[in-house]
Amino acid sequence: MERHARALELLRRSDEPLFGGKSTGLGELLGASIPVPPGFALGTSAFGEFVDEAGLHSKIADAMARVSPGDVDAIGAASHAISEAMRFAPVPDSVREEVARRYEELASVAGDPAPPVAVRSSAVGEDSQDATFAGQQETYLWVREVEHVCDAIRDCWVSLYSTPAISYRARLGRALEEAAMGVTVQLMVDAAVSGVMFTCNPVSGDPSMVAINASWGLGLAVVGGEVTPDDYLVSKVTRELVRAHVHDKHVEYVPDPGGRGAVRIDVPDDRRDRRCLDERTLGALVDVARRIERHFGSHQDVEWALARADGELFVVQSRPVTAVPKREQKAEPQSAISLVMSTFGVRSNDAPQ
Amino acid sequence: MASTAPALGAFPSPFSIETPPGCEGWEEMYPYYALFDERRRESDENRFWFWNSMHFPVPMPAFDAICIDSPYQAVGSWQNRVFAVPPAMGIDYRIVNGYIYISGNPVTDPEKVAERAEFFQRRAGHYYANWSDLYAKWRAKMEALIAELGELRVPDLPEYEADEIAFSEDRNTAFYEVLDSYGRVLRLGDLMWQHHFEFLLLGYGAYATFADFCKGHLPDIPDQHIAQMVAGIDVLLFKPDAELRRLARLAIDTGVDDAFVEGRTPLQIDAELEQTEAGRAWIAELERVKDPWFNMATGDGLYHYYRSWLDDPSIPYASLIGHIAALCAGEEIERPTDEIQRERDRLAEEYGALLDEGARGPFNELLGLSRTVFPYVEEHKFFCDYWFLTRWWNKVREFGALLAEHGFIEEGEDIFQLTRHEVATALDELVLTWATGGLPLGPKHWPPIVARRKELLEGLAAWTPPPALGVTPEAVTDPMTIMLWGVTTERVREWARQQDGGVELIGAAASPGVVEGVARVVKSVHEIADVREDEILVCSITSPAWAPIFSKIRAAVTDIGGVMSHAAIVCREYGLPSVVGTGRATAQIRNGQTIRVDGNTGVVTLLDGQGG
Repeated sequence: MERHARALELLRRSDEPLFGGKSTGLGELLGASIPVPPGFALGTSAFGEFVDEAGLHSKIADAMARVSPGDVDAIGAASHAISEAMRFAPVPDSVREEVARRYEELASVAGDPAPPVAVRSSAVGEDSQDATFAGQQETYLWVREVEHVCDAIRDCWVSLYSTPAISYRARLGRALEEAAMGVTVQLMVDAAVSGVMFTCNPVSGDPSMVAINASWGLGLAVVGGEVTPDDYLVSKVTRELVRAHVHDKHVEYVPDPGGRGAVRIDVPDDRRDRRCLDERTLGALVDVARRIERHFGSHQDVEWALARADGELFVVQSRPVTAVPKREQKAEPQSAISLVMSTFGVRSNDAPQ
Repeated sequence: MASTAPALGAFPSPFSIETPPGCEGWEEMYPYYALFDERRRESDENRFWFWNSMHFPVPMPAFDAICIDSPYQAVGSWQNRVFAVPPAMGIDYRIVNGYIYISGNPVTDPEKVAERAEFFQRRAGHYYANWSDLYAKWRAKMEALIAELGELRVPDLPEYEADEIAFSEDRNTAFYEVLDSYGRVLRLGDLMWQHHFEFLLLGYGAYATFADFCKGHLPDIPDQHIAQMVAGIDVLLFKPDAELRRLARLAIDTGVDDAFVEGRTPLQIDAELEQTEAGRAWIAELERVKDPWFNMATGDGLYHYYRSWLDDPSIPYASLIGHIAALCAGEEIERPTDEIQRERDRLAEEYGALLDEGARGPFNELLGLSRTVFPYVEEHKFFCDYWFLTRWWNKVREFGALLAEHGFIEEGEDIFQLTRHEVATALDELVLTWATGGLPLGPKHWPPIVARRKELLEGLAAWTPPPALGVTPEAVTDPMTIMLWGVTTERVREWARQQDGGVELIGAAASPGVVEGVARVVKSVHEIADVREDEILVCSITSPAWAPIFSKIRAAVTDIGGVMSHAAIVCREYGLPSVVGTGRATAQIRNGQTIRVDGNTGVVTLLDGQGG
């Protein structure tokens, strides 16, 4: 019986306190038959066992006791002390075994004895969206072999005690020593093109549009803002391309030819200012965007990738869009005729006869 | 493109416009009140005037100026005196070098606005509440008016009056009949314009409200989707081309399609059809549908030379040739009405579902109201601008023939070089000298005037009017200017920027797609026949009556037009990219120039050189 790991497709929103938002979000997507690369989740219990076995409780408690919100030096010192201790602590055997077994399963799915995976932290708490800003969203791409997967998992855990993460929790008044984190491990998609899309136009707030940013290679370049991606606005209703701005995409990330990690390279001249998505792919993205929006019942910010091998579309993350501009809202719904009257310059305080 | 905002006064003062060389004295063609005059300079110079290239793309012949006065008399009456649209009275016009500039009269006093709002709500409310009934009565009224015009007789001037004049009770002599008949022609025209504008503001207003509502809640919605949700499926304006498609199929079914060869004139085609029984049967079928469906104009009919298909069958015959060729190539030429209907309903349903719950009610109500008013919006053109007006010009031509017969002008068409008042004067002298047997001065007086005016119009046609004159407004607030002409604050800013003459023209994206090709600039209806396969049509405004050429062209660009432009819908139906409302495409683009039309973004790029 596994205590820490679970297949992503089995996770649902209600599992969030134990597995974190990233993993359960992917589980929800899989449950809605959205194409997501296969993978597994590690629960917060794995982190708990790691802290137990390494006897880090008192170390953490001591360091955190000296932290107060706004005391940058104290936070920095605590972060340093805890991170150093964690970095040299072993990943517990029980966790290691489960990870190894799961990784082998992924290996057989991928048909590769040491398939590349992405290892990402999966933050816990209703404000997990804000975790991005708190530096808790560590991502390690193109990781191969159990040993390295375990190292990456530990690095994710360590990120829980990064300086920004501690200040963030201190600011919110959280119990500092009780933090916990899940981890997501997924097969990597070697992406020819990848990007982000919103199920509405985040600038104008138009709910009938899907706004898509896309660039060459792995998603890092777009997510990290290292390129100006192509910018497409597509109608959900007709799939028409309403707007397309093609930009000069000068860099891309590709798997390191050495087999581990991703490297940033210059995009060859002939591809830099070429449009990276055709109408058919845009249509497929809109389809997926609509299904995801319908499933969650709210506007979503979706990361996606197109596999280099066959152009297959994968979703690698979806989270709610939080800051949609409020569209013009009248205090009370107006009748059609009073709206027509206002077109002709009749003001609402001109009482009708 | 210039990036700095234009300073106040980006447009020339109306008093700084120079007369093109050789066109001195053009003012004599128009009434004194139509000119920029020193006596009201202070007021006129401090207003914003824009060139109404939508209705008046070329210099106005003297007689045709009636089509400025009557419409603005009529629209102002309804808008200002009947409905009392709160912030806007009527529209003033002035003529510069033969081109028409217009400017709305705002109501600025808040008390006055409130007072007018009471009238407006009561009266407009009545129309909206009873629209379908009132519109049915309107159609009957228009058909009766057209019939009355048809019955109006233009008498000739015989050497001896007929016996009845001498022997019967009911006796009017020809002098009276001629003058009375001319007066009635003018009055029937006024009546048509009165009818024309009875529903227009309210119809467009309902539609504009729906469009604004959609854009408020769905800021990126393409204009054509709004139009698609509202547009009629089975509208009158599609009937003529539907009949042509039917006749094309009939020609193939009865084996007479060989007569329809590209490059042949209608006369040549008819001559060949007359040779066979099947051909004669086909002509008989054509004759059967000509009335009313050939009462289409060859353009938006505000100039006398926009004839109807009855007068000039080259457009319908070109269309028949195209339809037959397409059918023979195995193409589908039917308008997919079921599909259009399904798509219209699907769009409405999906957009409705995307709205917040509170917005859904008004959305559906406004859509319903827009669909109720839309038959008028589309069909009044057929009744007024095409059917009535083409026949009305022909009635005026009968007076031209009378004057020509008596040597007052060289040929009948010359009547359009005289103002309607000058024609009345000429007719006065004609019937006077006919009655007295005296020597008329008219044959010496009018021909040189006509000749000079033809020269003037030719000279003025070569002049490029600026899109606007006077003071650049901070914002365009007149609901009529925005609604009827699509002249918005943004559009005016764009015009101001383009005063520098950029190589990009920006308008409204009316129909999606991107196409590059050779421009064909069509400034008057005579040039329609010059349009060649695969060219890009560049014109002031496309007319639904030009529908047949849409099967030839690759894209369309217009000077003026907005979401209401029927042509935009036609373009979408034909799958042609279209950019409307560029302000000065016909002035800036040369014939034969390569241009790119981006119907997604509304940008037209001049690819070889700066244009004219």
